[in-house]
Amino acid sequence: MRNKWYLLMMVPAFLFILAFLYIPLVRGVVMAFQNYNMFDLTNLHFIGLDNFKAIITDPYTDFWQIMWNTLIWLVFSLIFQFLLGFTLALLLKKPFMGRGIYSGLVFYAWALSGFAIGLIWSWLFNGQFGLFNDFLVRLGLIDTPIGFLSTPGLAMVSVIITNIWYGVPFFGIMLLAALQSVPNELYEASVLDGCGAVKQLFYVTIPYIKPTIISTILLRTMWIVNYPDIIYAMTNGGPVNSTNILATQMINEVFKQYDYGQGSAFGVIIMLILFIYSVIYLKLTRSSEADI
Amino acid sequence: MINRKKKIAAKIARFILLAIFLIAAILPLFWIFVTSIKDGTEIYTFPLKYWPDKPSLNSYRELFSFSDFGTYFRNSLVISLSAAFGAMVISILSGFALSRFTNKRAKGAIELGMYFTQTIPTFIIMVPIFTIFSSLGWINSRIALGFVYVATVVAFCTIMGKSFFDRIPASLEEAAKIDGCNLFQALVKVILPVTLPGMAAIFCFAFINIWNELFIAVTVLSSSSKMTVPVALNSFISKTGISWGVMSAGIIVALLPTMIVFGIGQKYIVAGLTDGGVKG
Repeated sequence: MRNKWYLLMMVPAFLFILAFLYIPLVRGVVMAFQNYNMFDLTNLHFIGLDNFKAIITDPYTDFWQIMWNTLIWLVFSLIFQFLLGFTLALLLKKPFMGRGIYSGLVFYAWALSGFAIGLIWSWLFNGQFGLFNDFLVRLGLIDTPIGFLSTPGLAMVSVIITNIWYGVPFFGIMLLAALQSVPNELYEASVLDGCGAVKQLFYVTIPYIKPTIISTILLRTMWIVNYPDIIYAMTNGGPVNSTNILATQMINEVFKQYDYGQGSAFGVIIMLILFIYSVIYLKLTRSSEADI
Repeated sequence: MINRKKKIAAKIARFILLAIFLIAAILPLFWIFVTSIKDGTEIYTFPLKYWPDKPSLNSYRELFSFSDFGTYFRNSLVISLSAAFGAMVISILSGFALSRFTNKRAKGAIELGMYFTQTIPTFIIMVPIFTIFSSLGWINSRIALGFVYVATVVAFCTIMGKSFFDRIPASLEEAAKIDGCNLFQALVKVILPVTLPGMAAIFCFAFINIWNELFIAVTVLSSSSKMTVPVALNSFISKTGISWGVMSAGIIVALLPTMIVFGIGQKYIVAGLTDGGVKG
């Protein structure tokens, strides 16, 4: 009977989530199948899959290039965020003097918005007065500043480096906490069995914290694909679509073209991809029971 | 002998790596700070000066006079504080209830529904929120924006809250009951005082996320007197390029509240995130 009271206590949370997340979500999905353009709302009706067709056959923005960009953006950001974050967590595992302050300073970027970080780094990468250009010129590696964000190949590298910087604290925080939960007896036993540091890492540490690794990678993947903030602040998809990913193309449809139908269709595509990805990912890793 | 040398080498390597991570983490923020205290001409000279000849607060003065940043800062502060507080209260109730709920199946389903909110792209709900709010006459309302913010953080906060309450044995509120408390009194008088750090973590997490949010604010707010800090920074971009003096001053001011909140709540946030979001 107590459960009734508990349900009642959850009502406010349910109402907020329902009213401001799930109802808009349903409407958004419906819009993806309508000709919802702010310039012409007089003849609003369902148009089947036309929005999706229009996206894929768009002559100005090559859909497959955007998909490819999204993949590159995801894979490189994720791998380096994870590897560097894990390294940092391993370095911080043993206590040392000033560890509290140190971790406050290196983890601080977690509390920043992707948008602010994008702004900060677009200044560092600035093609005329950027700090990185200054370093390279002083080192004699280049003669004149280069336009990191205005050269197609370099722009993608620049936004990915920024995204890596953004994600390292997340993995650092999460994996450090997991590392500290590994019982010391396991390490002691592995030393008796003749394990060196490297073997210890692969046979003791990683298996023990595998659930955390699996769930953090899944969460981060969703955020990297979903959030356009960094690219929006740095290049907004340019130059010539070289950094355009699904999420940035989606805001451009909404903000610039006012085509809400096609914008929502992009949203549906992103959700579908993430859904399929999560199902496959969790199937492949189920043996270790990711607990998210 | 060899072992000792190895150990020293490992120590030095560790020290160097830690130093590299620290420099990489601090350099971008340090550089934005240096830019914000340079005067106009020094920002745009190449090769760069790593410290201004005469540090000046001109950019900050301009920020608060021309662009009315004080108003945006106040807007952001009011919205973030009240929405974060609202989210905290709501998720204390829901987190506690979810923790004590005994129907295993329903509990699992509710938790899953909470997690699913994390996968919704902001942009698919942005346009519907705009159209729904237009028809309700809620456009440009800071209260309505606050409601959306509560919704965007409350699911994660509930999960965080649940993990904190899970660690408090139910016998505590049973004892309070014997003493004549009802369920609600037991929660407020007995349970909450024990879980204060957890509540602090929830508040900090909510505050930081709400303070940083840009796109929903752009959608809901239209008049400039109601803008929040991220919206103001965004508007610095669209007006004829970026004036980096004012922009970097704006970024520094925008970072201060999250810096303070993160500084105070770091320990609790870390504990809360790792227990709540991702269990190991």
